[in-house]
Amino acid sequence: MIKIPPYLQPGDTIGIVCPAGYMARERAQTCIDTLQSWGYQVKTGSTLGSDSTNYFSGTDDERLRDLQQIIDDDSVKAILCARGGYGVSRIIDRIDFRSFKKAPKWIIGFSDITVLHSHIYSRYKTASLHAPMAGAFNDGGATNEYVLSLKQALEGRKARYTCDTHEFNNRGEAVGDLVGGNLSLIAHLIGSDSDIKTRGRILFLEDVGEYRYNIDRMFHQLKRSGKLEKLAGLIIGGFSDMKDTERPFGESTEEIIYDLVKEYDYPICFNFPVSHAKENYALKVGVGYKLKVGKLKVVLEE
Amino acid sequence: MNRKNFLSSVITAGLSLPVLPGMAAAGKKLIDEPQDPIIPPYLKAGDTIGITCPAGYIMLADIQPAIQQMESWGLKVRVGDTVGKRDFSFGGGDDDRTRDLQQMLDDPGIKAIMCARGGYGAVRLVDKLNFSRFATHPKWVIGFSDITVLHSHLSRNYGIASIHSKMCNSFPDDWNKAEPVQVETILSIKKALFGETMQYTAMPSAFNRSGKATGRLAGGNLKTIESLSGSASDIRTENKILFVEDTGEYLYSIDRMFWNLQRSGKLSGLSGLIVGGFKIKPDDPGEEFGRTVQDIVLEKIKGYSYPVCFDFPVGHQRNNFALKCGIRHQLSVGSDGVQLTEVRH
Repeated sequence: MIKIPPYLQPGDTIGIVCPAGYMARERAQTCIDTLQSWGYQVKTGSTLGSDSTNYFSGTDDERLRDLQQIIDDDSVKAILCARGGYGVSRIIDRIDFRSFKKAPKWIIGFSDITVLHSHIYSRYKTASLHAPMAGAFNDGGATNEYVLSLKQALEGRKARYTCDTHEFNNRGEAVGDLVGGNLSLIAHLIGSDSDIKTRGRILFLEDVGEYRYNIDRMFHQLKRSGKLEKLAGLIIGGFSDMKDTERPFGESTEEIIYDLVKEYDYPICFNFPVSHAKENYALKVGVGYKLKVGKLKVVLEE
Repeated sequence: MNRKNFLSSVITAGLSLPVLPGMAAAGKKLIDEPQDPIIPPYLKAGDTIGITCPAGYIMLADIQPAIQQMESWGLKVRVGDTVGKRDFSFGGGDDDRTRDLQQMLDDPGIKAIMCARGGYGAVRLVDKLNFSRFATHPKWVIGFSDITVLHSHLSRNYGIASIHSKMCNSFPDDWNKAEPVQVETILSIKKALFGETMQYTAMPSAFNRSGKATGRLAGGNLKTIESLSGSASDIRTENKILFVEDTGEYLYSIDRMFWNLQRSGKLSGLSGLIVGGFKIKPDDPGEEFGRTVQDIVLEKIKGYSYPVCFDFPVGHQRNNFALKCGIRHQLSVGSDGVQLTEVRH
């Protein structure tokens, strides 16, 4: 049975850390203000707005120590990763999850944070939140429905999302635990201790800035490692800023994916609002959902 | 098996356990590759070599230097019908490329198959190929980069040796004007194909880890190796000398790929590690990774004691020598340099 961390109460504290890439503190200020306006207290870790001068928000040891402290801090009820980038894979095997196992809390983020979602789902059977991070609150984002879906998720309100149909959708209904995240990271974790099982589950995938041939290669990897054949359902999110080679691949990203999954009977939807663009609903990884891919719309309901 | 090898294979087996239930659940059976490599017959003058495009496309004119050179070795060349075919980036559709390679695998008149170039596409057809005739009558498959899929697949499933080397697109247009390194690397393909005992040297590097190791060679393009993880073509590395190379990747991506090798247990049981050329895509401004390839590699293997060498002449570069995947070699890394020598079976 999956463990669901306690939902937040007014006055609870949310911790903000950067376990991967660097983020200046002012880039997270709107996020901090907004979380406070939602009624939460905010505690920031030393990796947010650190004095790091390179790609990372700190050395591996600094990022590990900051994340570990916030995991172990009883007063912190949820952990928002301020941004992704790259870096969780470098520390994941050194994180001590003993206190987290006893008192799980929501871990929030996406992109590189997929490593954390997959790891705690696969190793500790605990739910987490694939959701907008600090940057999404900027430039008026704090009031859009995607950021607000994070608020609703934290409050424990059950989500019901809808989106438009797509010509490649495969209609039907599926019920299962929701797993997934960033395609590059899901592929990168295959064979490791953080690898996820997908059988009987609803898998969602999104990516950004990849070459089309590489999307094709990663879907072949998922398929060849048995991750696609026994799904309950498949949710294809946004694939933003895709790149193409000098000699074009000759298919759109959607066509590439469709070609590889059209043989399956389970419901499949395309262009679901989970992505590196603004359209990015909060999704509870590990929690049971019903996916209904219909003639007129797509509904994903907790 | 000595104690060190025994221990490392036990550790590797333990680490790879989490993969197995998922694989079993998916109905995929991971085959344990045979202990002794199957070595295809070496070539002799008068034999026929086939040229095919399992991945990217190439024009017939672009393989003329390769044809002429290989004919000068006394070989007959059979040009497959995917040469000159084009489906966007591919050398024909998946079916065309599968059929062409399948025919060459099955044709008893063809003794070796050279892939005209890499690019991307071998993984799209590897599961469509029928290797049953090839497995009983093996022949040399030649190429690198995307062709790593075939090397890894053949080794994993059939224990058949193959040649990791330059392909048709790397033969110099004018042999007489070619630089010595071009001549030498192209002739290394001939040596490998005709059964000479292979020997390589590399310059010493301050980052090398000294020692001697013996094991079967396995490896190729790092990105391709990562993309095979969990699949029926997944590379087996225990007790082997692993070689890796890559091109056009960001340092962070190289780091992430080495973590995949490390975390999937592919680095713990090696007998040795050979790091070839890594052409780096420069960091984006403000996104400086702050670590070199040497840092990245040494960090992942600091818990193990096997020899390691850097800047070995294999990769997307001029000094890219033919290596026989699956065949036992001895690696000797010392302060005066590096030697890799084929061990005759």
